[in-house]
Amino acid sequence: MSNEDFKPKIVVFACNWCTYAAVDLAGTSRMQYPANVRVIRVMCSGRVDPQFVLEAFHNGADGVIVAGCHPPTDCHYISGNIKALRRYTLFKRLLKSLGIEEERFRLEWISASEASKWVKVVNEMVETVKKLGPLKPKLEVVE
Amino acid sequence: MAEEVRIGVYICHCGFNIAGTVDVKAVAEYAKTLPNVVVSRDYLFMCSEPGQDLIREDIKKYKLNRIVVAACSPSMHEPTFRSVLESAGLNKYLFEMANIREHCSWVHSDKELATEKAKDLVRMAVAKARLLEPLEEKEIETSRNILVVGGGVAGMRAALELAHYGFEVYLIEKSPTLGGKAALVGYVEDDVKGSEIVGKMIKLISKNPRIHVFTNSELVEFKGFPGNFIAKIRVNPRYVNEKCTLCGDCIPACPVEVSNEYEFGLDKRKAIFYPYKGAYPPYYVIDSKVCTFCGECVKTCKHNAIDLEMKPQYLDLRIGALIIAAGYDPYEPPKGEYNYGIHNNVITLFQLERLLDPNGPTKGNLIIGGKVPRRIVFIQCVGSRNTTPNSKPYCSRMCCLTAIRNAIRIKEMYPDTDVIILYKDIMTYASDERLYEEAGKRLVKFLKFEEPPKVTITEEGLYIDVYEYTIQDEVRIPTDLVVLSTGMVPRHDLNELIAVTRVSCGGDGFLRELHLKLAPVESPTKGVYLAGAVTGPKNIMESIRMGSAAAVKAMTLLSAGKVSIEPLTAVVNEEICSGCGVCVSVCPYEAISIKEMDGDRLAHVEEALCMGCGTCTAACPSGAMQQRGFKDTQIKAQVLAVFGGG
Repeated sequence: MSNEDFKPKIVVFACNWCTYAAVDLAGTSRMQYPANVRVIRVMCSGRVDPQFVLEAFHNGADGVIVAGCHPPTDCHYISGNIKALRRYTLFKRLLKSLGIEEERFRLEWISASEASKWVKVVNEMVETVKKLGPLKPKLEVVE
Repeated sequence: MAEEVRIGVYICHCGFNIAGTVDVKAVAEYAKTLPNVVVSRDYLFMCSEPGQDLIREDIKKYKLNRIVVAACSPSMHEPTFRSVLESAGLNKYLFEMANIREHCSWVHSDKELATEKAKDLVRMAVAKARLLEPLEEKEIETSRNILVVGGGVAGMRAALELAHYGFEVYLIEKSPTLGGKAALVGYVEDDVKGSEIVGKMIKLISKNPRIHVFTNSELVEFKGFPGNFIAKIRVNPRYVNEKCTLCGDCIPACPVEVSNEYEFGLDKRKAIFYPYKGAYPPYYVIDSKVCTFCGECVKTCKHNAIDLEMKPQYLDLRIGALIIAAGYDPYEPPKGEYNYGIHNNVITLFQLERLLDPNGPTKGNLIIGGKVPRRIVFIQCVGSRNTTPNSKPYCSRMCCLTAIRNAIRIKEMYPDTDVIILYKDIMTYASDERLYEEAGKRLVKFLKFEEPPKVTITEEGLYIDVYEYTIQDEVRIPTDLVVLSTGMVPRHDLNELIAVTRVSCGGDGFLRELHLKLAPVESPTKGVYLAGAVTGPKNIMESIRMGSAAAVKAMTLLSAGKVSIEPLTAVVNEEICSGCGVCVSVCPYEAISIKEMDGDRLAHVEEALCMGCGTCTAACPSGAMQQRGFKDTQIKAQVLAVFGGG
């Protein structure tokens, strides 16, 4: 597949209160960004089980973003974002050992008013993943 | 699950909003091919009554037991559609929404890509819908205290409404006095001054035992959920206590002199000062930003009213709702814009209002440089409507009318003074149009410009060059005074409030309403309401109305004394739970404990305490802990559906 044809799919787990609202705001503000992202709403970034991320990569995601409210105090549920921060700091190391490039995963803090940050993160992620190429063929080789 | 899953899928056009970018028919056709989908339709406005009826009828006709609507954000219409399910006898949690507007049609322009994405989003929603279960809501008691941030007309009006209906109100104001900008500038109908209205409101508030006023105070922390927020207030020291009699003996003693913000820089004030006549609470205050704490004022005070040792105090308030009425800043032209800040005879509209105010620095006499100006030229749209490089794109709404009202006043006071208004478009809406006519009758001259006029300083004074649009010619106007009709901009410190309250701001930098027409005083956070010019330029009457409206909305939330909480709580599968206690350690609410049951150690969720974040579910190593509405299986189904499976 040439880079031109490669339409990466990026799965996003967004917390209901900050990031999901920021994605909504990007919409109401009519900001434009690549159509490669698919947002899954969860109540808190603390809800995002690493299994989901692995499941996404396993099934063909070229990139995954977990996004929530800014630490330390923005979390709607006091400290769910801190749990996510701890969890995914470890998880990133694990990804490497699985042979998945670290850049394919991002943990981001995007508040409800940061629609432009959301757009920036998506743009960067799509660009990064396009450079890396599809993940799926690599995984199939492993299997 | 014994019952067969029968899903109805509804794709909304939202007029052109979705259908303009997404091929809605193709998406509806596609949805028909998905397993368990019994019926799939597209319709112009799903949220409209006929749209809702469509779902109700289909539920009966096709015996549907899951509904998916692909339309706007769930924050917009999830409640609408949930109540449709309820009215058709279905549990309202058997509903899933695909956000194909905010997350798709509004942010992509390529029709093919947007349609493809919309199909994916519908497939993901259907995959989750297939696994949804009926849930029962729980109710939580709410507080009857309401916090109002901002002591201007909007905030004071809201406070008065709330107190009238028996709510306890905490009214906090960042500056040392209630009143806001309306205390200094502006009129309402029939030439009633803003300060008169402010004066009346302050009188009512000062006597109302249910309104607790804290000036010099800021909201520093805000957490919790609708009906039960916790707000931390910092009450900054005033350094002057209630023994102050406003005698003013301290003023001559104070060696620090700074520009007076209450006169928009027209005169000076001391570090210890009383903002203006009628300011509330009626005590002096020390501006700690400029005070040197030399102690001279303390020596002169006969009443022991000054205490330089005062420290900030913190209050933790349990409140049911928050009303943000933090107001605006006047647009301050950068130095040199129309020669503002360079020549003393170039002033802003706000400064002019102070000069015309009987309590202002010139006692209401329009004296500039020792004499009454023979000609005054107003330049409209300063800071608004993209007139200059620093201008905002929007119209500030109140400047045309304020300029015209003041022009008429000047004509009344000084009939020989020539008044000229240079304008782009005159925006005097509704009954204010009368004033525009009246100004014409009083020979106020109106000249229209397209390119901003140029103000030039010479040794003899000022002149203005403008290309007059109607006569299509250059005009040069010598003048004694230039009034820049400056507009309204977001507060310089609004970002601090946004950071604390997590409300969102719109493109112009003001706070954004949840929906301009459907929810004009609600913020995106339930339980947080907005009033006044914090959401964009408003005149005094509009701000007052919005204050009342926000109060009503807050009362609506709290009047029942309890709110329903989405039952997205954690639930333990006791068959699998090993009692390891990881969930206990991650729960932010201490809602989970380990209990011994028949010799087994089991996690136990105290449902009233569980707020439904799902952190325990993610942490549970065995999958015994699940979050209702966001079960592992449900989220995984969505993930698989991204790639066609699930």
